[in-house]
Amino acid sequence: MRVQLAERLLDRQIVDVDGLLVGRVDDIAFAVDDEGFPYVDCLLTGQGALGERIGGRVGRLLVAVADRFTDDPSVPPLRVPLSQVARVDSAVRLRCPAADLPPSPVEAWLRRHLIERIPGSGRASG
Amino acid sequence: MRKLFAATLGVLSAVGGFVDIGDVVAASQAGALFGMAHTWVLLVGVVGICAYAEMAGRIAAVSGRAVFDLVRERLGPRVALLNLVASWLVTVVTLAAELGGVALALQLATRLSHLFWVPLAALAVWLVLWRLRFELMERIFGLAGLALLVFAVALVALPTDWPALGQGVWQVGASGHGWPLYWFVAVALFASTVSPYEVFFFSSGGVEERWSAADLARARSNVLTGFPVGGFLALSLIAVATVAYHPSGASLSTLDEVARPVATALGGAGLAAAVLAFFAVTFGAALETGLSAAYAAAQYFGWQWGKRVRPREAARFHSVLLVGLLLGVVMLMTTVDPVRLTEYMLVLSAVVLPLTYLPILVVANDRGYLGDRVNGRWTNLLGAVFLVLIVAASVAAIPLAVMTGMGR
Repeated sequence: MRVQLAERLLDRQIVDVDGLLVGRVDDIAFAVDDEGFPYVDCLLTGQGALGERIGGRVGRLLVAVADRFTDDPSVPPLRVPLSQVARVDSAVRLRCPAADLPPSPVEAWLRRHLIERIPGSGRASG
Repeated sequence: MRKLFAATLGVLSAVGGFVDIGDVVAASQAGALFGMAHTWVLLVGVVGICAYAEMAGRIAAVSGRAVFDLVRERLGPRVALLNLVASWLVTVVTLAAELGGVALALQLATRLSHLFWVPLAALAVWLVLWRLRFELMERIFGLAGLALLVFAVALVALPTDWPALGQGVWQVGASGHGWPLYWFVAVALFASTVSPYEVFFFSSGGVEERWSAADLARARSNVLTGFPVGGFLALSLIAVATVAYHPSGASLSTLDEVARPVATALGGAGLAAAVLAFFAVTFGAALETGLSAAYAAAQYFGWQWGKRVRPREAARFHSVLLVGLLLGVVMLMTTVDPVRLTEYMLVLSAVVLPLTYLPILVVANDRGYLGDRVNGRWTNLLGAVFLVLIVAASVAAIPLAVMTGMGR
C-alpha cells in the first residue's frame, strides 16, 4: 500500500481547476479515524515540507532558504485536503481554484518585495 | 499559403535556435586545427539531437508536461535535485557564455570593449523575456540567425579547393596535433551540437505553446528539417575555418578571427552579416538558456512557470530567471575571456549530458505518460546507441581537458 501511495501521489504536480500550478506533492499527512485506521488526510506542498522529507544537510538548506524568503519564518507547509482532489492522472488535479488555498509564503514574499515592484509585472507577455 | 508560411517560419526558427556560441567556437576551432576531419561528429550529433528532440516534443504534446517536469517523479526528489543543481549551473554558465558572445559581437561592431556591453546585453535579454511574445521572440532571432549563411556564401567566394575539402571529410586524422586534442575538440563539438538546454527549451516551449497531439506532426517536421539545416550552417563554419586557417593549423582564440575570412572574401557587407549572425544566434541562445534555467528550477519544485501567466503570478520563476542573468553578468565581469568561458562551458555540458538524455529515453518509453505513443523499436535502438556515445563523451570530457590543457 505504501509503495502504491508513493507512486501515485508523491512528487506529482498539483494543478488547480483552471490549470494553474499549485506545487508538488512534497509530503503526505496521515490521520487516524475513530476505529484506529490511518488514512491520508492532506497533501503537503512547500519547500519546507520537501526539505524535511529529504532530510540531512541538503534538506536543512532547502528549509533555510525557504525561511529566508518569508516574513514569518518556519511557516507550515501548504495543506491540501484530500477532499479537494478531483482526480489523479499524470498530475494531481484539484476541484478548486488556487486562490481558494492559502498562498505560498515564498511566492508571496518574492512577489511583494521583488517582482511586483517591476513595471509590467501585471501583464503576461504571452 | 498562410499555413505554408507559418510552417516555414517554424523551420527557420528551429534553424536559428540550433546554432549558438558553442557551435561558433567549437566548429571554427575544429576547422582551423583539423580541417574537415570532425564532420562525422557533427553528423552524429545532428542525428542524435533530432531523435531526442522528437521524443521530448512527443512527451510535451501527448502528456502536456515538459521533460524536467517528469524527472522528479521518475528519479525521486534527491537524485532529481542533484540533476537540477548540475543542469542549472551548466545552463547558467552557458547563459554567461552566450551573453559574452553578444557582447563580443557588439564589440566587433562598435570597437567598444565587450565588458561595456555585458550589462546592457543582459538587460536587453531580460527586457525581451519580460515583454516579448514567445513566438515572436523565437522567430525574430531565428530568422536573423540565418545571416550565418554568409559563411556558406564566403566559401564560394574564397579560393576553395572543393575536391580537397570533400576528401578532408573522409581523412580522419590528427593533423600532427595528437589524438588527445582531436578527441577533445570532438567532444566539445559534440556537446555544442546536443546542448542540454536545447531539449529543456524545446519541450517547455511546446508546453507553453500548448501543443496537442495534433501539433505533433508540425513540431516534428520543424525539428527534423530545422536542426539538419542548423547542422549545415555549423558545417559551413568548419569549412570556412578549414580553408582560411587549416593549412597553417593555427588555433583560433577570438570571434574576430572567426569572422575575418568572411570579411576577406566578401568585404564590409560580409563582415556586417557575420556580426549580425553572431549577435542574433548568441542573443537568441541567451534567451533560451535564461528561460531554460528557470524552467528547470520551477518544474522541479512545481512552481507556476512560463511567459503566458502574469509575472506577479510566477514570482519565483521570474526571480530565478533574474538570479541566473545576474550570475551570468558577474561571471563575465571577472573579465574572463568569453571564448575561453565557452570552451569550459562545452566541457561541463559534455559531463552533464547523460543527466538530460537518460530521463528522456526513460519517459519516452513510459505508457503511463504516453499511452501508445511510446518509442518504437527503431527509435529505442537509435536512442540507446546515442546514449552510449553521450556517456562516452561525458566520461572522456574531463580527462581529455586535463591531458590537452583545455585544448591549448
